[in-house]
Amino acid sequence: MAAYIVRRMFYMIPLLLGVTAVVFLLFNVVGGNPAYQILGKNASQEEVRQLEHQLGLDRPLVVQYFDYLRQLVCFDFGRSWATKQKISTMIREGLVPSLSLTVPSFVIGSILSVLLSLVVAFYRNRLWDRIIVILCVMGMSISILVYIIAGQYYLSFAFGLFPISGWEPGLKGIPFLVLPAGIWIIVGLGSDVRFYRTVILDQTGKEYVLTARAKGVSERLVMLKHVLKNAMIPIVASMTMALPFLFTGSLLLESFFGIPGLGNMSINAINASDFPVIKAVTFFGAFLYMAANLLGDILYRLFDPRIRLE
Amino acid sequence: MMRLTAVLFFWCSILSFISCSLKQPVPGNVYRGVLADRIKGFDPSQCSDLYSHICQKQVYEPLYEYKYLARPYDIQPCLAESLPRISADGLEYTIHLRKGIFFSDDLCFPSGKGREVVARDFIYSIKRLADVRTRTTGWWLFEDKIAGLNEFRFSTRQLKTSDTADYLSDVAGLAATSDSTLVIILTKPCPYFKYILTMSYAAVIPHEAVEYYADEFLNHPVGTGPYILKEWRRGLRLVFEKNPKYVHGLYPVEGGADDSAAGLLNDAGKPLPFIDRLEYYTFTETQPMILNFLRGNLERSGIPKDNYNNLINPDKTLREEYTDQGIQFIRAEDLDLTYTTFNFKDTLLGSRRKLRQAISLAVDVDKIIDLFYNGRAIRAQGPIPPGLFGYDATFRNPYQGRDVERAKRSLAEAGFPGGRGLPEFEYLTQANTTSRQMAEKFTADMAEIGIRIKIIGVTWPEFLERLKTSKFQIAGLAWMADYPDPENFLQLLYGPNEAPGENAANYKNAEYDSLYRKITVLTDGADRLACIKRMQAIVAEDCPWIFDTHRVSESLCYSWLKNYKPHIVSPEQVKYFRIDTDQRKRMLGQ
Repeated sequence: MAAYIVRRMFYMIPLLLGVTAVVFLLFNVVGGNPAYQILGKNASQEEVRQLEHQLGLDRPLVVQYFDYLRQLVCFDFGRSWATKQKISTMIREGLVPSLSLTVPSFVIGSILSVLLSLVVAFYRNRLWDRIIVILCVMGMSISILVYIIAGQYYLSFAFGLFPISGWEPGLKGIPFLVLPAGIWIIVGLGSDVRFYRTVILDQTGKEYVLTARAKGVSERLVMLKHVLKNAMIPIVASMTMALPFLFTGSLLLESFFGIPGLGNMSINAINASDFPVIKAVTFFGAFLYMAANLLGDILYRLFDPRIRLE
Repeated sequence: MMRLTAVLFFWCSILSFISCSLKQPVPGNVYRGVLADRIKGFDPSQCSDLYSHICQKQVYEPLYEYKYLARPYDIQPCLAESLPRISADGLEYTIHLRKGIFFSDDLCFPSGKGREVVARDFIYSIKRLADVRTRTTGWWLFEDKIAGLNEFRFSTRQLKTSDTADYLSDVAGLAATSDSTLVIILTKPCPYFKYILTMSYAAVIPHEAVEYYADEFLNHPVGTGPYILKEWRRGLRLVFEKNPKYVHGLYPVEGGADDSAAGLLNDAGKPLPFIDRLEYYTFTETQPMILNFLRGNLERSGIPKDNYNNLINPDKTLREEYTDQGIQFIRAEDLDLTYTTFNFKDTLLGSRRKLRQAISLAVDVDKIIDLFYNGRAIRAQGPIPPGLFGYDATFRNPYQGRDVERAKRSLAEAGFPGGRGLPEFEYLTQANTTSRQMAEKFTADMAEIGIRIKIIGVTWPEFLERLKTSKFQIAGLAWMADYPDPENFLQLLYGPNEAPGENAANYKNAEYDSLYRKITVLTDGADRLACIKRMQAIVAEDCPWIFDTHRVSESLCYSWLKNYKPHIVSPEQVKYFRIDTDQRKRMLGQ
């Protein structure tokens, strides 16, 4: 397995190169000249040229791209053009608020979805199954914006159950996170429950379940001990793929609830043509995604010894 | 059933607990303000956006500032002791500084104690703006104005980023004759130079802070203003507290009869500031902003477009349920202009005046005001907005206001009856929802007279680049006054300011240019007014722009916020505000 992991890590290199090339080209070809953004509308052409020189934007694209790669290899992302802060500091500052929202949401959401999917699988083709599946489809069909706007208006403003927006570090921040985390959970619940239900139902038709039932094992025990264990393989794989998004945050939730996380920071960097930050965040996101992929494969192997990683 | 009841009871208890823990104590002497975007930072050389300006003003101060209550806008000394003594030829400004003004305490000073401000600090601050490596967005304000400053700027071009600029070298137009006397010599008379000295760009900064914090100077403000920065969590909140070294601000003692009647002179002569702590919250979305305001978590708020009809009656009054909550509706005319510019480098649009007039006549400005501004704008007849010297309320632009029949006739006279023979024009706009919608409206208006429009939606940097390099045909733009002088608007059509300068239209008219040169040196009076009127008539006839609107600013504020008077040129003058904390406690308690 070690050889497999090493090989996969090598495979990540061309993929990361591809991502960096696409980001670099998009920024340089489509994004417009950042010197205009930095200097503002009153800048003269001469000032623009000088800033381009200072930022190294007047060098050939190939040279700029290799310089970008050098920064990535050295993990030296430099400073933001807009805020002049070190990008590593910015990411660190943004990561805590993002994770304080996404990690609890992910954990609670995952437990809830698995439990609900067990319930619907247990009551398959009965009233509870139908009600929950219909609710899931409804939940999936409604845009997250509706949950945010309605939740913020009714639950926070009209009923005063939660703060309207804001964020605080530590335990003081919990009240600010309840509503956005609730929305994150509800939005993800529909698709997760439907997927997990399918996976669990798929297992319930297997021979080993029939054997267990034939042996007189109770239906609850069959579901919890046998079916769930085997259904966890695709479930864990699906959860693993969600991990990178915990780090990159949620743009909409962060914007509406005033959470100063990485999602908020990324969109601000895009609006400000802050290329060093965009480069760092996209690289960080791509790396996490690939790492999560690898982790998913390893977990597959751990859950199912029949799978061989070659 | 019992189990369900127990579960429901559990969740209700949790919600009640959370709800109770939310009951925030009513704040003390704290002002809670709004920023609709992240600020760029606290470097006065980068103060090109409204929100940076609002925050920097709490910390930094220039030589002069606007009188808080006076309208039309006028200036008064801030760090200067008196108004500048200007020589008879209008070139030499002698400025005496207040004594006993100190920078706030900071690590950048030896022993951490802020030192006294001296005249050399202002010279340093201006030279730093001129330094190419500072990358200021405000050089254009000083360019060609101060003797020797352009040459100083040129000399900094040779320097590397790591080199220390020789700020001790002389600039002919900047001299400190003593620690408290600053002399500025201009290259030519400039009646609006006094306004430039009020801008955040002209604020005084200590060289120690620039050297100590280097790249991060914009994150560590060290000024002389009424507040010091205590906390800055980007994208969330900025907190300021009273600067203990600020002793020189007094509430104005003069104001109009309206000001007196509105209670704006109740604090006359009292030392500033009144509020102990400022908390500015960043809202990139409008819903949380307005909901927080309506809950009493903010003192003031703008009125989002989407919430307008829920808050304001059709007769432009605040709905009764909100007036009952002690909310006040504040309305003030902005010093701005929205306009659509033609590019005169385009052979067709630049050469056919009748074509431009036809396009102008086809634009339904009233509908634009209704659709996109909720009626919060007035039709612009010329480049100068109401409230500035030279604005003529009686002037009617013959090509402003929708008249489709006249537009069609004009188009035929231009040689394109029914739009036949015309190519499809490109309309340059930003790729955001509102700009796109406005472009769609323009396209629909043009279709009525047979002109085809293709919308080009681009990012803001690309939009600027296309304007600077004249790669557009028609574009929608806006301009807000940097200072309350008509020159600030009229320079936008001055020939030598053509792209990449501010004259994005590349409009050139010899008579207009000659008159512009006159108004830049004339002081306000009959001669200047006559020149401005003629310039307005020229551009109305030539139609380099479609004059669209002058916007009106509307906002809401609670009655516990005292001394609030909207100031368009220098908004959020919080040092004059006072919170009636008892009233707020009472009202929020209710």
